[in-house]
Amino acid sequence: MISLTSLAFVSMALFTLGAIGVISRKNIFVIYMSIEMMLNGINLFLVTFARYHFNMDPQIITIMVIAIAAAEAAIFLSVIILLFRSKKSLDTDIFTTLTQGEKS
Amino acid sequence: MVDLLFLGLSFLAIGGALAMIVYKDPMYSALGVLISMLSVAGIFALLNASFLFMVQIIVYAGAIMTLILFILMFLNIKEEDLPNEPNKFKLIALGAVIMIPLNFLVLKAVSKLPAKDLLLTNTDFGDIGPIGTVLYTDWLVAFELISILLLIALIGSIVLAKKRNKKVKNKGAVS
Amino acid sequence: MSTNLLIWIILSPLIGAILNGGLYFYHIKNKPVSDLTFSLIGTITPFISFLITLSLFLRMKDENIIFNQQLFTWLNIDKLNIEMALLGDNLSIFMTMFVTFVGWLIHIYAVGYMKGDKGFGKFFAYFNLFLASMLILVLADNPIILFIGWEGVGVCSYLLIKFYYGKKENVIAANKAFIVNRVGDFGFLLGVVTLFFAMGEVDLSFTSIEANLGNASPELLSLAGFLLFVGAMGKSAQIPLYVWLPDAMAGPTPISALIHAATMVTAGVYMVARFHFLYIDLGDIGLFIAYTGAFSAMLAAFIATRQNDIKKILAYSTMSQLGYMFIAVGLGFYSTGLFHVFTHAFFKAMLFMGAGGVIMALHHQQDIFKIAQHRASLPIIGFTFLIGVIAISGIPPFSGFFSKDAILAAAFQEGQYLIWGMAMFTAFLTAFYMFRLYFIVFVAPSPQRKKYVYTPKTVTIPLLILAMGAIGAGFLNLPSIFGGHHLVDTWLAQLNSKTIHLSHSTEYILMLLSIGVASLGIYVAYKKYANFDVSKPEEEVGLIGNKFYVDEIYDVVFVKSLKKVSTFIDKVLDTKIIDGFIMNSSSGFVNIGKKVAMLQNANVRFYAAFMLVGMTCVFIYLFITLGL
Repeated sequence: MISLTSLAFVSMALFTLGAIGVISRKNIFVIYMSIEMMLNGINLFLVTFARYHFNMDPQIITIMVIAIAAAEAAIFLSVIILLFRSKKSLDTDIFTTLTQGEKS
Repeated sequence: MVDLLFLGLSFLAIGGALAMIVYKDPMYSALGVLISMLSVAGIFALLNASFLFMVQIIVYAGAIMTLILFILMFLNIKEEDLPNEPNKFKLIALGAVIMIPLNFLVLKAVSKLPAKDLLLTNTDFGDIGPIGTVLYTDWLVAFELISILLLIALIGSIVLAKKRNKKVKNKGAVS
Repeated sequence: MSTNLLIWIILSPLIGAILNGGLYFYHIKNKPVSDLTFSLIGTITPFISFLITLSLFLRMKDENIIFNQQLFTWLNIDKLNIEMALLGDNLSIFMTMFVTFVGWLIHIYAVGYMKGDKGFGKFFAYFNLFLASMLILVLADNPIILFIGWEGVGVCSYLLIKFYYGKKENVIAANKAFIVNRVGDFGFLLGVVTLFFAMGEVDLSFTSIEANLGNASPELLSLAGFLLFVGAMGKSAQIPLYVWLPDAMAGPTPISALIHAATMVTAGVYMVARFHFLYIDLGDIGLFIAYTGAFSAMLAAFIATRQNDIKKILAYSTMSQLGYMFIAVGLGFYSTGLFHVFTHAFFKAMLFMGAGGVIMALHHQQDIFKIAQHRASLPIIGFTFLIGVIAISGIPPFSGFFSKDAILAAAFQEGQYLIWGMAMFTAFLTAFYMFRLYFIVFVAPSPQRKKYVYTPKTVTIPLLILAMGAIGAGFLNLPSIFGGHHLVDTWLAQLNSKTIHLSHSTEYILMLLSIGVASLGIYVAYKKYANFDVSKPEEEVGLIGNKFYVDEIYDVVFVKSLKKVSTFIDKVLDTKIIDGFIMNSSSGFVNIGKKVAMLQNANVRFYAAFMLVGMTCVFIYLFITLGL
């Protein structure tokens, strides 16, 4: 039952749910975790095709992606701490100093 | 047997992702993500990527998610700090509508590929040995650059999170 | 022949005007300047003009030459060439002579009349400026320079009518004068342009127009003649552009005397005479001019019989006499018409100055019945007034008889019996209303005991000088049946005007008829008004008393309708449609900008969503092109 299409379906589902999470949630943590979810989905996609074509390269790329995700985690969480310190809130909608139109 | 395993793992993965985007409390979202990550690791194992299975658990689930949970608890978030999101489900629906074309495209493209059986094989494809060989021969430069990137991330996170006294002094002088 | 003196005739009062104006500014801003300074500058400059004119006149009489002076080229564009040049031929010097002489006398009179007025210097500045403009008009070498003077006298008339600008009615009257004049000026300018194009675009001076008249088609020449006369209609107060003249009496009396009696209003007659070479061939236009003059004369005489304001009666009588002048020049008798201009200047100016003296003595009272009720004893003014009234009625041997009788004979000779009849009837009416004025103001029994009021010498001496002119000027053009030598007619021989050559018996009969008609008018006035009870004044009622409602008709037809149209354009077209369109399109742009600016609201998730939407579009496109 493990067909290419079903695996592709799972990975695209993870990617889609991650993308939805980025645009629909206001909580900064949830946004970050959605980004990680998107990366996860892509990793799955890559590994599927590594097994499909019996090629090592996608797996190497997956390792790179995981390493990058780790680096990103460090930076992202430091920034979350900074933002929380300055505004004491986890809402991403309150950072509007670069706005052009009416200030909300 | 493998099929059932795959089915269960897929459900857990997708369910964890759903939990992430639905719950208001970030702790529950983090736990959902954790479950999802572990399920994905399982699927990796089913796809002959044994090294990646371990790397996923150690790095993603073990380091990244732990770090997230740590920061979550460090910031001592109370109920009122959380933003109230009245339009959450409407926006989720909107996002789903936006993402439909991409999914459609990819799935259609993938379904045109010739079908192959993706069961576990007995070769050493995906073992740590072959991965190491390829990594240190073909992908050496990328490997080194990744390590530099990690170093930069390390320095960056320390610099960003440091308390800055001078900045506070400047603020006082201006006002 | 060329001379340098012509420009000084104009420059002398012009410099006087500038000096007076500058001193007046000094007077109101810094130290007060004495009235004597203003009056000296104001009266010496016209006298200098008169002396120069007199010297040129004597030279012209002896040597039989004409003068001209070329100043500079004003415009030289392609075929249009306008020189700033002055022409001092017989006609110009004739006009200049009496304009400067009468003008000088009235300036002296004004010194006494305007005494104590706080705008004294301003008055003399404007007055001198008027004289300079009139002299430009008369001495011009081409119609464009004439038009400069034409406009100049219009402007000065406006400035002087509204001299007492404290009262709003005076300013309205000045506006009316200027606007009605402007209508005429438009016609004049169109006439000049038509002439220019009709003649094939040659040089525009009077001599060259005269030479090139053959180039033009008769229809265009008729049109030009008619349009030029429209200008004369406005300036000389003929039907239909006469409505400004009675209202112009709101100005001080010296300007009524100079501008609206002797000089500006005769500019139209001068212009027709100057264009004699054009009008001599346009018989129909000439007849039209004559009829206009006749009708204006009669209408004005009718209205004057019922007016109660002394200056308005004199204004209507001016309009009536101008009608006579136009009868003469319309029928081709240019020198006869100009002779009437000459004599009219003397007695009308004198009448106005006398009226001014009366008004001044009774503290600016202008209603004749009230003047009669508070009558003062003014011997010299009364005497000169009587002479003027007799002269205007056309009783020999005063000057008015000779000039008016010549016009009547001219009309009779040309076979225009209708015009002759109207002119005779108007003569009757003229005698009637002028003597009505005289009897009520000076003769009718008054409840007031007569007390003597002193009038200054500056008022009485010019009056006496003009009286001599009113009596004696007629002898300058004595017709041959009395043994005279037609001096004025021979002087103005350049105009090729028609001459009167009726048989002597016809002339005698006509003369007796006109004397009889005038005497009848005097008799009727005597019967009615010599013993009039001045405490029960006649009201200005009825059709005649309300001036035939012409002003009201003009108001409804022209003023109100134009006002409605302009209000409509202002409120609806301008505000709602044009402004609305522009304002709405601009605010539409602003609103679009505001909506676009909402895209930059610094909401990160919003940006991310938009990026996803963009990607989605790309995917849709890929989907379509890949044909999956």
